[in-house]
Amino acid sequence: MSPTSSSASSSRPLPRRAAIVGANRIPFARSNGAYARASNQDMLTAALDGLVARFGMAGEHVGEVVSGAVLKKSSDFNLTREAVLGSRLAAATPTYDVQQACGTSLQTTLLIANKIALGQIESGIAAGVDTTSDAPIEVNEGLRSVLLAANRAKSTAGVLKALAGLRPGQIVPEIPANREPRTGMSMGEHAAQTAAAWGITRQAQDEIAAASHQNLAKAYDRGFFDDLMTPYLGLTRDNNLRADSTVEGLAKLKPVFKPAGYPDTEATMTAANSTPLTDGAATVLLASDEWAAERHLPVLAHLVDAETSAVDYVHGDEGLLMAPAYAVPRLLERNGLTLQDFDFYEFHEAFASTILATFAAWEDPIFCKEKLGYDEPLGSFDKSKLNVVGSSLATGHPFAATGARIVPTLAKLLHEKGSGRGLISICAAGGQGVVAILEA
Amino acid sequence: MKTETLDAPPTLGVLYGRALLTARSGGGALPDRRLELAGVRIDADAVADYAHVCGFGVGGVVPPTYPHMLAFPLQMRLMTDREFPLPAPGMVHLRNVITQHRPPEVGEPLTVAVHADRLAAHPKGAQVDLVTEVRDADGTGVWGSRSTYFVRGAPAPEGADEVPAAPPEPEPQVGRLPHAIWTIPADIGRRYAAVSGDVNPIHVNGLAAKAFGMPGMIAHGMWTKARALAALAGRHGPAFTVDVVFRAPVRAPSKAYFHTAAVDGGWDAKLVSPKGKDHLLLTLRDA
Repeated sequence: MSPTSSSASSSRPLPRRAAIVGANRIPFARSNGAYARASNQDMLTAALDGLVARFGMAGEHVGEVVSGAVLKKSSDFNLTREAVLGSRLAAATPTYDVQQACGTSLQTTLLIANKIALGQIESGIAAGVDTTSDAPIEVNEGLRSVLLAANRAKSTAGVLKALAGLRPGQIVPEIPANREPRTGMSMGEHAAQTAAAWGITRQAQDEIAAASHQNLAKAYDRGFFDDLMTPYLGLTRDNNLRADSTVEGLAKLKPVFKPAGYPDTEATMTAANSTPLTDGAATVLLASDEWAAERHLPVLAHLVDAETSAVDYVHGDEGLLMAPAYAVPRLLERNGLTLQDFDFYEFHEAFASTILATFAAWEDPIFCKEKLGYDEPLGSFDKSKLNVVGSSLATGHPFAATGARIVPTLAKLLHEKGSGRGLISICAAGGQGVVAILEA
Repeated sequence: MKTETLDAPPTLGVLYGRALLTARSGGGALPDRRLELAGVRIDADAVADYAHVCGFGVGGVVPPTYPHMLAFPLQMRLMTDREFPLPAPGMVHLRNVITQHRPPEVGEPLTVAVHADRLAAHPKGAQVDLVTEVRDADGTGVWGSRSTYFVRGAPAPEGADEVPAAPPEPEPQVGRLPHAIWTIPADIGRRYAAVSGDVNPIHVNGLAAKAFGMPGMIAHGMWTKARALAALAGRHGPAFTVDVVFRAPVRAPSKAYFHTAAVDGGWDAKLVSPKGKDHLLLTLRDA
């Protein structure tokens, strides 16, 4: 017997659109704060159990649970499986782990949705988790090579000879840094270059940041997250949220990340218009319409299509976080849509400057002609539809959890409205981007 | 030019000891002989050690700068002979041109031959080229290089004017934005010395470096070239010429900006200090 394949699976032609049924996340916590003692597995298990409780799925088999973390200990190789085994889902629920930096849990959503679309599974949970507090620490590269050489040695003398290579400086551990291996630049340094290239002002960045906090605060106040979140370790809201953020207040912060190669350009990025390091986990329940109907569960929205892209930021003169600027036009073209054809725009705010640079590129005839091959620019869109219940600058950004925060946020917005279409865009380390369209 | 065939690779430690004891202050002509060592085999473990220090991947093609490791002991042997007109300690690498016809294979028998060429006056001393040829078992050229070394304060040799001029220096055309920021660790000289055998004091000891007129300990030029090529791995063909000029020494530790540009037929690259001083100028042209 296969508990996940229902009688309804063959009643509709394949492929079919996967439904977003619901979600659960834990509040996001600033690094080394409320969740300092919690591991990725702890947070993911808590988020899954909250989802199970919300939808009465204790002991239930879902087709698959797919999750991942960016900062992951090697002992967590089966992170998702371990979390499921510790959750109230059926122990026989299969899982796998995926990592695509900040795109992780939008990509896990696509993986689940595609299997549902093909009829391979009827339901699944896409998730993501990250901790910057309980981060894996590696031993110094010099110490590691000495220890590995000693481990390889076949005789006591060989072990001693290898250990003779130990040096005091090797005691310093390697702590994971938010740095691109091929460029040696942090994500902030990359974003600063892109901001300078597009002439993004401090004022415009602070406006995005203030709006993100104000919108998130209003959304909490009207109970928007009540059925999307479960309290965890004493938190009931994202603790990065500053409801009283104003452009004037943010203007007082000291800028950081002076852009390399722009000696005359002042730094414009601050701790407020850049996402902070954050801990948290998020999950999304996807299913076929039939699976949801059998359980009398709502369908908030459907996943229509998605696109993943990458840019050559190493030698190619494109910004590290600019991949969505290429992914979205391809997605629009394939679906016969324009940039203006959406009711909501959910853009992951890695840095306020990142989304502003992306918008500037789409309004720029030269970029659209030379990079995208279009005679007309994609143009502008109504910014009152952008991140209407806040985004990463306010919630924080546990790297792998952000997609699974945004997908249900947009699905619920569309469900509230009754019908409509929304666009999701997430940039990721390594010059990648994941974008998707949802419809209700 | 006569060829002197060696039975075994020279031991660098012995050569450095000899160099420090017999360091000459110049004069005389270049030795009219070629040093040759046959049956040289590239060792996979040594390549892995080298790759770890320079940023190459392990297990792919042999790094294009690696054959310099095979040639360097022969170059040192030549330069530490009493008859050699310039002293080896404190020598500074000015330029290195590598032409690779095909990547050498780990384990294949190779013949490495080295001779000196173009002893010339330099505005602040004297310079000399060391030319290397690496051939395979069939005698076909695999890899060749020309390294130009400079000795500060060494007297200009007689007849320097008759030395043929070197080909024009590379003029890489790159954009103003750095593609990478290199963090050069303080111990890079010692680490590169450990895999290359090049224990020239200017790379491994701050006081010695100052004694030789350097601002402090500096990274090996060939390490900067290797790291630049590691950054371009997979983006060029197997046969090419890569010409590098070493300008301002790269201090260790320091930061430097690396600029690259894909150009017609290859790559241009530059390593510059954060204040805009050129460290390394590179052109790579596919054959």
